[in-house]
Amino acid sequence: MQLKMALAGNPNAGKTTLFNQLTGARQHVGNYPGITVDHKEGHLHYQDQKIIITDLPGTYSMTAYSAEELVARDYLVYNRPQVVINIVDASNLERNLYLTCQLLELGAPLVVALNMVDVAKARGIEINATVLAKHLQVPVVPIIARSGFGKDELLRVALQVASTHQQWNPLNISYGDDLDSTLPELIEIITAESLLTDTYHARYTAIKYLENDEQIQAKGRETAPKTAQLLEQLVDESTEHTRRTLDVYPEAIIADHRYGYIKSLLRQGVITRKFDADRLYTSDKIDKILTNRLIGPVLMLAILFALYQFTFSWSEAPVAWLSNAFNWLGNLVEEKLPDGILKSLVISGIIDGVGGVLGFIPLIMFMFFGIAILEDSGYLARVAFMMDRIFRIFGLHGSSVMPFIVSGGIAGGCAVPGVMATRTLRSPKERMATLLTVPFMNCGAKLPVLALLIGTFFGENKAKYMFFFTMLAWIVAMLAAKLLRSTVLRGDPTPFVMELPPYRFPTIRGLCIHTWERTYQYVKKAGTVILGISILLWAMMTFPALPEQVSISFDQKRQAALDTAAPETIGEQKTKNESSSEQVKAFDKTIALINNEEAEAALRHSIAGKIGTSMESVSLLAGFDWRTDIALIGGFAAKEVIVSTLGTAYSMGQVDAEDSQSLSDRLKQDSNWNRVVAVAALVFIMFYSPCFVTLVCIAKEASWKWAAFSMTFNTIFAYILAVAVFQIGTFFNLG
Amino acid sequence: MLRKREKPISCCFVDTVKRCLNRSHCNNLIAPLSKRGQTGRIKICKVTGDRATCGRIAAMGVYPGIEADIICSGEGSRCILRVNGGTVSLDADVSQNILVTNL
Repeated sequence: MQLKMALAGNPNAGKTTLFNQLTGARQHVGNYPGITVDHKEGHLHYQDQKIIITDLPGTYSMTAYSAEELVARDYLVYNRPQVVINIVDASNLERNLYLTCQLLELGAPLVVALNMVDVAKARGIEINATVLAKHLQVPVVPIIARSGFGKDELLRVALQVASTHQQWNPLNISYGDDLDSTLPELIEIITAESLLTDTYHARYTAIKYLENDEQIQAKGRETAPKTAQLLEQLVDESTEHTRRTLDVYPEAIIADHRYGYIKSLLRQGVITRKFDADRLYTSDKIDKILTNRLIGPVLMLAILFALYQFTFSWSEAPVAWLSNAFNWLGNLVEEKLPDGILKSLVISGIIDGVGGVLGFIPLIMFMFFGIAILEDSGYLARVAFMMDRIFRIFGLHGSSVMPFIVSGGIAGGCAVPGVMATRTLRSPKERMATLLTVPFMNCGAKLPVLALLIGTFFGENKAKYMFFFTMLAWIVAMLAAKLLRSTVLRGDPTPFVMELPPYRFPTIRGLCIHTWERTYQYVKKAGTVILGISILLWAMMTFPALPEQVSISFDQKRQAALDTAAPETIGEQKTKNESSSEQVKAFDKTIALINNEEAEAALRHSIAGKIGTSMESVSLLAGFDWRTDIALIGGFAAKEVIVSTLGTAYSMGQVDAEDSQSLSDRLKQDSNWNRVVAVAALVFIMFYSPCFVTLVCIAKEASWKWAAFSMTFNTIFAYILAVAVFQIGTFFNLG
Repeated sequence: MLRKREKPISCCFVDTVKRCLNRSHCNNLIAPLSKRGQTGRIKICKVTGDRATCGRIAAMGVYPGIEADIICSGEGSRCILRVNGGTVSLDADVSQNILVTNL
């Protein structure tokens, strides 16, 4: 039989770290509240026992104030795990035991994992686990989730608790005379009418009614409307009384008594402090500077700019090495394989397609490494706090920052987890505005396009331009959010309340795991989805082949060139060397022009060419030729494909196979491309329709109607911007 | 709910003048947290505003009667509080609804 075990705790208490330690998984862990929005399952064998471990989202309470709390509570009451491991941050015991209290009130079979005992010790806090266990009447095991210390003991104790198959026995805490007099009345009604008693204990339901828990109240109304009405009437009377006499809501009284209960526990020899309990820690002192309203934003911009500088300067050489490696591979295949479809597939479809994406791995890795440092150190949470003021102006919420950052706010994320991260937002309208604008961020898939075009046309100041385009993405996303919040998503803002995690030194292991897990996803996508789409687009760009008559006409042109050339020129051309005569060079150029003309005619005749050509009349207003159109269509499937398709489209027109050029050089030499076209293309690519996977995700999180809206609105919006950029840039001759 | 531009309920004239010069913060009088404008130890006297928000911040340890440290605060702006061992950040609207006094 499988044993069900759940991990519950405050945000940042180390649940996911412990989950990874126990299951060997590599779930994303970050020093930022709200990383785990949904529950995740892992498997483990211990003492011949098969265990399913569920990592629940971090919560401060068990009252339905946010999506995470609902997910965590619903999982516990509907799945009834045999044991719940409550991970408690030992360096912040008082706050963390608040949730423990509520888990005990729920009656869950609990084991307390006292995590980060090393951090607590460093802060001069000694915790007596035995005394704490005695008072809480549940086992307490000191652990260090990061290093794995104590995990075996924790599993042993958890199995012991699970083996007792104990009933869910709730803890009763006194909430003062006012509420204690109302509670029995509520419990009596709930018990008599069996309201939700199959899920919750009667006392728990009564407490949640007093705490104004919207989910429980809604369930009550749904199950037994009359009983619910009676309960709400009693609760209203009690609330009125506490408001009149104490000027507080019952939930504040309940919180006060829970904290009182915790304080009384801690005073009974559980905790010994070397220093004053109220002293400010280093983390608080750092916050005084980093979140200062004047210095804070300046430092934030400086830190983000430094990240870009670091990424682009350090990744430049490895990116060049990889690019050369793929060029070398292309040349090798060119030499070894005979001319034909297979050669074209390998070079244009696979090497130029996938290689174009894989070539940016070093850049992606450096960017992810930088983001991991910011996230693991706890600085990203401060960014959210500082950005809240700006977000509010545009009708968004401070908590929207994380979805934006995850989506590529600091270039290199992905819109799919970004869209999912919007679940942490309480207000449906703020959530929808965030969900629809996060795809504007520069995700990891757009990064190669940005790097390619910036590197090609603005190579002298890559980091500065990259930073500029990141800022542009933010500004446009904010303006689009404001537009949405002022029109289709009009509504009041919701308050920003967030716990800031303490600053921590990121571990090398943690940074490597984060960098690797994100880079691996990128590589995996390049090797599967992108490879598939690249081959498909190659096929669309290759078939149908030129009609035989047209091919013959090109052969005739070549033959004519051969016929007009002097015999000695042909002989010299066959033994070509560096000191070839002018006649040979002119002959080569003629043949190359004919080949180029044929390749272009073949591409135009293909399915993709026909689509691109049919769109050219519209896209030329933004400066995009038909080959770029093909790449942009490919971008609807996945944004990475833009670079690979450009690579394929431009390599097909390449005439001198012996001098294989990079895509960057080809674009630079192409008459259709210049700085203005590059900026227009960048603007269009940054803001047009999200990729197919993101659209599916938007549809799942909202509806297909909103997914269709996102695709249409973004594409029209991006096209208007691109046309404006191209027309203005061309008018002022900036290209 | 208190309005943003509403006059702080217990600031004297001197405090008002000093606040204009960004040098004072309703010392020892009950005033909204958002008007404090300086760091230091305070006691929460009253929490008003939306009930769900009151409940949420109560669960995070911010409720009447509790003592806290202001880590970061700007006049009429957001602030960071250290309370019950945790560090809680609040926006201007929420801190406007928390009435505090100096300790």
